[in-house]
Amino acid sequence: MKITRRSAVSLSVPVLGGGVVLVGGPAALLAQERPTFRVKVDMVVHSFTITDAKGRYVNGLKHTDIRILEDGIQQKIATFAEGNKPPLQVLDDGSTRPILTPESQNPASGDQRSTDAFVGTNVFVLFDTSNYMYRGFVYASDAIADFVRGLDRADSVAVYTFSRNLTRAADLSKDRADAIAGLRKAVAGDDSALYNALLLTLRDAAKVPGRKVVIVFSNGPDNGSMVAPDDVRAVAEDEGIPIYVISTSEVSKDAISSGVFRRISGRTGGKAYFAKTWQKQVEAFESIREDLGNSYTVTYYPASNPNEGFRKIAVEIATDPGKKFRVRARPGYRPSRSF
Amino acid sequence: MKPRFLLVCFACLSAMAAVDLRQVQTLESKGAVAEARALLRSGATSGSPDDLAAYAEFLDRRRDPEARPAYDALLKALPASSPRRATTERRIKMLELAGRSGPSAPARQSEWPTVNIPGPLRSFNRMAALSPDLPPEDLFGALARNVVTNGYQAASSNEALEQTEYLKLVVRYLSQARELEKLAGPSGMIRIEQCESTQTADLLKVLGYRMRGGCGAEVVLETVNATRAFLTVDSGFPLSPLEQALRTNRPFELNYAPTKVPVLYGPEYWQSARDKGAAETSFVDFFLSDPALCRLYLGLSKLDPETADELKKGIPVARLKAFSHILDFFGGMFQIRGGKAIVPGAPRSIPGWTDLAGASPDNGVQFIEKLINRDDGWLASYFDSAARIHGREQEFLTDSARMKRYYTAIRGRITSPGPARPVFRANTDMLLLATRLRLEPSGVPHIPGNIDIWKNLFVNHPHGKYDGKLTKTAANWKEPDDLLEALFALSRKAVENEPLKIFMALSDLNRRRSKPLEPATVDRLAREYRSLGSQYSIFSEAPDLKDKTILAFLDSATAITKIGDQGVRADHAGMMQSLVGLWQIFCRQGLISPGDADATLDQILQGFSKPRTSRELFDAGRAGVTALFKATKTSDGADPQERMLDLLSGEAQITDADAHTQVVQDMIRIFEAQHLISLKTLWDLADNLEGAAKGGKINVPLVTKLSTRIQEIQPARIALSGAEKNAMAFGYWTEKHIDNQRKVNFRAVFEKLGNDPEKLRDARGLLAQFLRDTLVGYNYIHYAPPGAQILITNPLFVRSHDFIGAQGSVQTWKSTEVFGTGWPSSAGGRLVGSLANVPYALAEAEQNFLIPTREQALIWGDLVPQMIVSAKVPRFWQVTPSQLHYAALLQRLGESAVAFAAVDAQARPAVVEIISRQAPPARARRIETLLAASDVRSALDLLLPSEAYLLGARVLATDLVVPGPEAAEIKRLAAADPAKHNYVAISQAFGTPKPTLANSYRPTLMDLRTFPTLMGYSSRILAESWESSTLYYAALADELDVPPGQLNVNVPIWTQKTVEAIFATHLEDWPALLRSLRIVGDNLRTTARKSAGQRAAVQ
Repeated sequence: MKITRRSAVSLSVPVLGGGVVLVGGPAALLAQERPTFRVKVDMVVHSFTITDAKGRYVNGLKHTDIRILEDGIQQKIATFAEGNKPPLQVLDDGSTRPILTPESQNPASGDQRSTDAFVGTNVFVLFDTSNYMYRGFVYASDAIADFVRGLDRADSVAVYTFSRNLTRAADLSKDRADAIAGLRKAVAGDDSALYNALLLTLRDAAKVPGRKVVIVFSNGPDNGSMVAPDDVRAVAEDEGIPIYVISTSEVSKDAISSGVFRRISGRTGGKAYFAKTWQKQVEAFESIREDLGNSYTVTYYPASNPNEGFRKIAVEIATDPGKKFRVRARPGYRPSRSF
Repeated sequence: MKPRFLLVCFACLSAMAAVDLRQVQTLESKGAVAEARALLRSGATSGSPDDLAAYAEFLDRRRDPEARPAYDALLKALPASSPRRATTERRIKMLELAGRSGPSAPARQSEWPTVNIPGPLRSFNRMAALSPDLPPEDLFGALARNVVTNGYQAASSNEALEQTEYLKLVVRYLSQARELEKLAGPSGMIRIEQCESTQTADLLKVLGYRMRGGCGAEVVLETVNATRAFLTVDSGFPLSPLEQALRTNRPFELNYAPTKVPVLYGPEYWQSARDKGAAETSFVDFFLSDPALCRLYLGLSKLDPETADELKKGIPVARLKAFSHILDFFGGMFQIRGGKAIVPGAPRSIPGWTDLAGASPDNGVQFIEKLINRDDGWLASYFDSAARIHGREQEFLTDSARMKRYYTAIRGRITSPGPARPVFRANTDMLLLATRLRLEPSGVPHIPGNIDIWKNLFVNHPHGKYDGKLTKTAANWKEPDDLLEALFALSRKAVENEPLKIFMALSDLNRRRSKPLEPATVDRLAREYRSLGSQYSIFSEAPDLKDKTILAFLDSATAITKIGDQGVRADHAGMMQSLVGLWQIFCRQGLISPGDADATLDQILQGFSKPRTSRELFDAGRAGVTALFKATKTSDGADPQERMLDLLSGEAQITDADAHTQVVQDMIRIFEAQHLISLKTLWDLADNLEGAAKGGKINVPLVTKLSTRIQEIQPARIALSGAEKNAMAFGYWTEKHIDNQRKVNFRAVFEKLGNDPEKLRDARGLLAQFLRDTLVGYNYIHYAPPGAQILITNPLFVRSHDFIGAQGSVQTWKSTEVFGTGWPSSAGGRLVGSLANVPYALAEAEQNFLIPTREQALIWGDLVPQMIVSAKVPRFWQVTPSQLHYAALLQRLGESAVAFAAVDAQARPAVVEIISRQAPPARARRIETLLAASDVRSALDLLLPSEAYLLGARVLATDLVVPGPEAAEIKRLAAADPAKHNYVAISQAFGTPKPTLANSYRPTLMDLRTFPTLMGYSSRILAESWESSTLYYAALADELDVPPGQLNVNVPIWTQKTVEAIFATHLEDWPALLRSLRIVGDNLRTTARKSAGQRAAVQ
């Protein structure tokens, strides 16, 4: 995940962790008279899970156990968090302390969200209410409600539904009752534009600071999207948002959708589940909850790198010289362009 | 007091003010409204009546809620004997009635008898797909429409109709609601006292849920009966609050009393149509079971009350039911007044109508009965078309002899199926022909070219016979009537009416031209319509375009079509079309003067008169851009990329710098997302190659820069398997174009070239394909819809534009279409065809990324793309603050006229008469009734902003004097700058593009009634005839002191908000659009006034 803050400011404003880019672009007469300068501050947020040879989660690692490489260049970790524990700021001397955001240092800002934005996970549930889900609509609704109830207290959750269009049934909140009330208000729709809706959900998620995931609950068919699954996947990859998919369809029934689900989840650090029955759906949700509770999140400001295209991110575990552990994460990202 | 005196009084109040009103006017004309307000406010503190009046009138003109207290202050300051008192009191009264101040009017009560619908209305509306905003008296009408259009389908086994899933769910819901109603008992309240109770069990059983876990904090509701549970969730039963109550063991209460809903004429009237022996059921069940009855309900609900009453009295319901489809589609324009039918073109046309219907309009009921009984709706549809227009065109079409002739042609020998039988009205062509008919000053219809051209078209028919009989008769055509008769005759055919489309396209072209097209040009355009007709709207952008240039365009298009290699053809077509597209944009924005338009297009086309090598193609593209720059007075040293973006965003005033920068930056964002190559890079490299050919050196950093950019082009998404590709039967894949670009390695190429001058020059041919995409990209980004999710997300969207199309079809010059929606494995959607309709296609592709803010609402397909086009095509940089105020004042004058009609019964008929030129009889009559009851607010709710605007304009042209400051100010502005303040100038400033109705993207106002949905167009023409949004936004901007230039940013945003807030029940539900528009306006007003208040508090 990458947080990009853009703002039009004058050159006198101090630059925080990013480069200054002079806009040569809009050479309108007007713009020439009043040149605009843009400051881009990129912080990369990278979430991953580590499992051993038997597929068990590896917990308890410290930031010193982990090396992050971007295009082979080692990065200096800025913050480190495990599961839903509060993140730690990694200081220059290698020691850590609880994270302090500018807002938390300035209580007068009154922004309660920002002080705990990096604690817990922001979970966006995207529920397919199209005609394709008509039969399993209520059971799916029950399974999602159970999942929401079982989320860690530190997590926030939003519930979106879609058919041809997206509906924000419940905005991101820590209040489970809000989320479930939104879910229970869902209305069965018509066509399915899964990838359009997923893109819009990712755009919303990208605006939220901290760690976030999108969980798609759908049976796969899409007869209304204008964007390709892989373009949507690229957005998730760039923004560092893992996509989990719970498909209510059997793998063999819709090979194309199944393949796409595997690709978009795998490439973003998420997982795909094929759960036709209610029980399997509950199990899938349980697995996702476990994943969230056992993942690591690090942030860093990328070291100088001339590559403006796709940057590969590698996670190395110092305590695993034999490389027996398996790291599941997005493979990299494309830095956003400034103009 | 005579009305004329009132006007004088308002004018003199302004003239006598001590404040320097000229200074105020100067400030206003510059857009310095806040300063003008401050000056007047300061003057008003003097307490002088003149200054108080000037201030009050200013606020009144600006729709400021403070106008009312300002008038009160004026009233206090006026001596008891002052004649101004009466004027001021009347204005205050009008403001009160119009709802701009004073207490809210009580909610209207329907006079119709009611029936009970089980449960809350909200739940029923959800299940029946009805907008929650519907007034109760409209509910059964909307339900009837849904039953007619979505409730039944043909059974597979026989001819009977069976319920659709939609209707089955409504019926099931009613059953569940009745069970819940029983649980609620006589009190109408569902009550659960505690978790552990039989009430809980009974309720959950009906809802289809059960408790998992015992009562207490862990209890969870889970599905036990999926069918019931689906109804529970889908109808919006408050399941979460119930669950919460069970968890906390607190009482749960829900009002589940039945809802009383008015039924037009009462349920007994409709039940009298019940078949003998049919089982007794509730009204709702009976209603849902009879689609024909629903259609009659729908039809009668569109009639004005007096007409409907007469028909109801004169014709038994069972007989009316047989004509319900005709009443539904064409009854809305029927009128019976005092027992007589009002016919279009009366009194001159009365003998004609009598002859055609077989009854005199003097007996209204008999006339209408005959009209609808005549021929399955053909005569009624002609009546409807003629009634929708007015003026000379109506007189022409209702001339008795001509009417008979045209009607006979439309009717044909076999009348069934009539035009009201299909789901949409099938008289589209007739309605369009009648509406767009153009008469010469002599009263003769305008015929593009001459009659012989049309005669030949029908006789020799380049693409096969249009109609065997017409082919025979065409040889004898002598006059325009002969051609129109043939066009009417073709209007009844279900197949595409190509001659009519040609006729309308060429008529529209001539309408805008300073000199009509030469016959030879008309002949060529008519014959090539099938292959090139989609391009003709381009020629409407410049009124002085020479015939020679139009023919050159056709020649170039034909030459390109003949290119065998698809890739080369696509490059030629893409380059030429994108340059012409830019020419269109610059002409429309006034950046190319009308005098330069023809020469510029001619220069562009010269490069495409024959197939070119890739080097020549690049040069042709560059020459085209140079011609565009020259015509737009671009200085020689300007950076081509930056200049192009400047031009695309439009020429802004210095005061609009921020808005302009925002528009440009949005464009750059998309340009970057598409990884297009800037003109500067392309030009620099081409120049460098030329320099190298003359002995210079290759600019390695420049080549590296370009190569890096090319490397950013991602491979095309090709998740489709070979078999799937073959299944789609595509002969040409845009991936080839993308792959070719990715393969270009400039460094390697240049190394191989060595110092061979000719090879170095030829190498710039490699840039042609990139230039094509850059130029196509400029067209895309100019029209990019708000949000532009596709253009931001799919980096290959521009490059994927398919100028070739599917195998077997030549799409190169066809209208732009969206292709590839909803394939999970595809490369996403793309646009196919020419660039002629790119604005609409982009909007169509983007529409479903808008997010409805209303629960259950969906984006209104067909209407929304046109709304987006209307927001994106016009630019407002050249609109002056005075024009903004002028347009707003005319709307306000229209609204004041409505208020005046409530306080002055003598003025009412004239006002209603003007309104009825736009509003159908039922709505005009409803407004009249409301005004008689002094319910101005409700009357204004029924008036569209475009109607208010036209009402204001027409009131000015009559003797009617409406008290208030608007008329005097409108006249003052018109006198001060007549060129800016007139109908045509405002039409250009705040009109909307009408590619279907007017064959042009040039914004205009057309003074039309709002169209219904039509066969072949769905809501698209309705959307094009909707001119209210931009006018409303203009008035809003004027009210909120938003500078006109800022509209370039705000109108797309406001449109997005409006679209997202629409909750429409059906495809003609424009009142839902109006409601949404007003919701957005009210929210913006609230926000603006809140921030103004905060600013004032800080100061």
